[in-house]
Amino acid sequence: MILKLNHLKVKAAATTQRVIEAVYALVEEGLIDQGQFARLQVELDWIQYKSNFREGVTATQGYKAFGQPAPIMDVHIDTRQVVLETLREDLLCALNRAKSGSEQDAGRLPLEEFQSLRSSIVWTFNRFFWRHLLAWEAATGQGYDKALPGGSSDGHNPLAVADDVAEFLDLLCALQTKNQLPAEVNLLEIGVGSGSRCAQWLNLFHQLDQQRGTGLYSRVCFYMGDYSLDTLNKAKPNVAKHIDQCRFIQLDAINPIKSLPHLRHKILQVHLTNVYDNLPDEEVVRRDGKLYFVQVRAYVPDAAVNSLGGKYGIPPELFRDRVYHMLESGFDSFGGPEHGVPFWQELWAAVRLEERLVQLEDLPEFPFPEGLDAGKLEDILQDAPTDFRFHLSSGALESFIRTLPLLHPSGYMQVFDIFVTDMAQYRTGFFGPGKLDGSLLNWVNGALLKEVAQREGYNVNFRPFKYRANTHTSILYTTRRE
Amino acid sequence: MPMTLPILPTAIVGSYAMPGWLERLKTDYFARRISRHDLDEIYDAAVKAAIKDQETSGLDIITDGELRRDNMVDYFAERLPGVQIDRSSKKFYYDFYDSAVVSKLPMASMGLVQDFNFLHTYTEHAAKFCVTGPHCLTKRIRNQFYPSEEAFATDIARVMNLELKALVKAGATLIQIDEPYYSGFPEDLAWGVNVINTLVEGVDAKISVHICYGNRYGKPSWEGSYRYLFPTILKAKVHQLTLEFARRGGEDLDLFKEFNAPFDLGLGVIDVKNTDIETPDMVAEHIRKALDVLPAERIQILTDCGCFHLPRDVTFAKMKAMVEGTKIVRKELGK
Repeated sequence: MILKLNHLKVKAAATTQRVIEAVYALVEEGLIDQGQFARLQVELDWIQYKSNFREGVTATQGYKAFGQPAPIMDVHIDTRQVVLETLREDLLCALNRAKSGSEQDAGRLPLEEFQSLRSSIVWTFNRFFWRHLLAWEAATGQGYDKALPGGSSDGHNPLAVADDVAEFLDLLCALQTKNQLPAEVNLLEIGVGSGSRCAQWLNLFHQLDQQRGTGLYSRVCFYMGDYSLDTLNKAKPNVAKHIDQCRFIQLDAINPIKSLPHLRHKILQVHLTNVYDNLPDEEVVRRDGKLYFVQVRAYVPDAAVNSLGGKYGIPPELFRDRVYHMLESGFDSFGGPEHGVPFWQELWAAVRLEERLVQLEDLPEFPFPEGLDAGKLEDILQDAPTDFRFHLSSGALESFIRTLPLLHPSGYMQVFDIFVTDMAQYRTGFFGPGKLDGSLLNWVNGALLKEVAQREGYNVNFRPFKYRANTHTSILYTTRRE
Repeated sequence: MPMTLPILPTAIVGSYAMPGWLERLKTDYFARRISRHDLDEIYDAAVKAAIKDQETSGLDIITDGELRRDNMVDYFAERLPGVQIDRSSKKFYYDFYDSAVVSKLPMASMGLVQDFNFLHTYTEHAAKFCVTGPHCLTKRIRNQFYPSEEAFATDIARVMNLELKALVKAGATLIQIDEPYYSGFPEDLAWGVNVINTLVEGVDAKISVHICYGNRYGKPSWEGSYRYLFPTILKAKVHQLTLEFARRGGEDLDLFKEFNAPFDLGLGVIDVKNTDIETPDMVAEHIRKALDVLPAERIQILTDCGCFHLPRDVTFAKMKAMVEGTKIVRKELGK
């Protein structure tokens, strides 16, 4: 058995001892055989998200492509929520459940079949959250920003905005000196929120432009891009002072260039804050020289089905249909948001993900996100740990790759987000998925983005977000490379 | 025997689409997973396929697709006598080697004739051979010996001049010199033109200089106007300027008229930084605009730059559009 302790929390030491004792007890009792014991990998994580998709103890079986069990079995123990008193029973239950068979669904209501995390229903919940954000905020009595670490978006940080404005104006002046400054100075922000960052940015740029006498403000075209027209409309009043400089574009964060083909190679700055961590993702496990794809299945524990069903008058046999109906049609079947939102919030809190690992036996045919293929992944993994689990960050990668062609040769792109900047970092903790209010979030595999971008002709580096103490946010900064 | 070309002859600027499988094999070579002998055989097959594709699409002038080259610098840096290469300095074939010149470049062969002979053997069409210019090479090879970039570039030109003469002796009649870095360093242009003149002195072939705004990774490295070239470029002793107009629009065409430029024009009509495929009508429209400035006898129809980064099927479709668009204009001209 391999035991991996992925964090340094104090509670872990005591838990580790108890885990070993529990596994040995199960071996001695004949409930785990020698072969199973030999291929067992037990990982202890401290899941930083108070709300997440895991039980305290889970087990994940590996499979070959056509369904036969592969000789690997992972056990995950969340040292934050594990109950030591029931550890032995929880462990035995998880191991039994992971073996394929009729007991797999016992005690839980699956909401879907096993599939990629990227296409899981949990992302439908995520989209539902953004569509009904106002209803959620009304129910909780606070804005979404308040749920963020620090209580507000890092994109609005005044010092960060001021530094960026100064750097950008320096860039414009340098281009002007070489007669290479375009007539239109294009910027793009993807995911505009309330429009506060754009407003701050333009205020400061206008001031600095006047102070320096550079006369460039009138040439600025600030493209505000968001998938939601409602969001764009809400942002407009906040940038009213600069309305002549602003352009409002409805775009899909996963494919910005589709909406902006006329701006290919013409944007001098692209900015995103906390967009990538909320884009659909999937995970891969590397074990014993083989790659396994993590398939997930969302479920609701029977206890929650019964409790919510009783409270909201939903028979267990209709529970799944009501969930789907809500996600498709809103709260009508609950008589409106008044009852629908509390059901949604309690349901979301109860939703869990079970996992299985499916060996990638035909890697070249795997549907990789744009920008990645089997050859590139193998190259990238050459210097990575031999046994680890990592994000493909599919949504973030596709967004990144489909944004980069917009960059002017002298332009730059900055992304404020939570990045894993080195593949080896994956061995030091749990990096999602977690829940943030009604949305999903994942750390972003910045190391992967960096390698892929380099092959596409861009330099990527990561800067610490120096404007807030104890933050996990870092800044991905990208420019063209030769 | 000189090849007779039609009016408005068509060609790609130099490189053909680099297949993904060849990229992987090149990288396999760097990872010591395949031998040099195997790689050379793979190159031969890939070049033959690129030649065949160009012929099938109907191009009039054929290149070897530059598929043996990792990039536009290293192929020459490796062959320039006296340049030191750190072969461990790249893990992906397209990266640049860390290379340096630490002593005066000796006069010696670069072995380019072998690649030209291969092209000549496998096509009966007019063949064009492309070389990276000295200015571009000095920007990527670290100069640890010469007192100035100009001195370094001039010596590169002397070595390459011998090579160009050897190419002519082997039958080359169309030679293109690629100088994309002029657009990034316009302040170098005056000495850059002197270096070009050293390079082509006594070379009995139709010489074209290709100047673009960069195509590294299929993206522009700079933006601006070709106005910076004039009037300095008029001193260049070459026959043709090959410029990109499809992506950037045709505004700078008027510079030819304004400065009464004596050169033929290699007219870029295909955007190689975009996978959208031009229609023949779009190509024809580009050509008609150029005909307002120059007579058809002084115009070649080309891609904006090399097709290295485009998918093969896209490249082939773009070449077909270029050929068909040119036919439309030839018909209008009654040729």
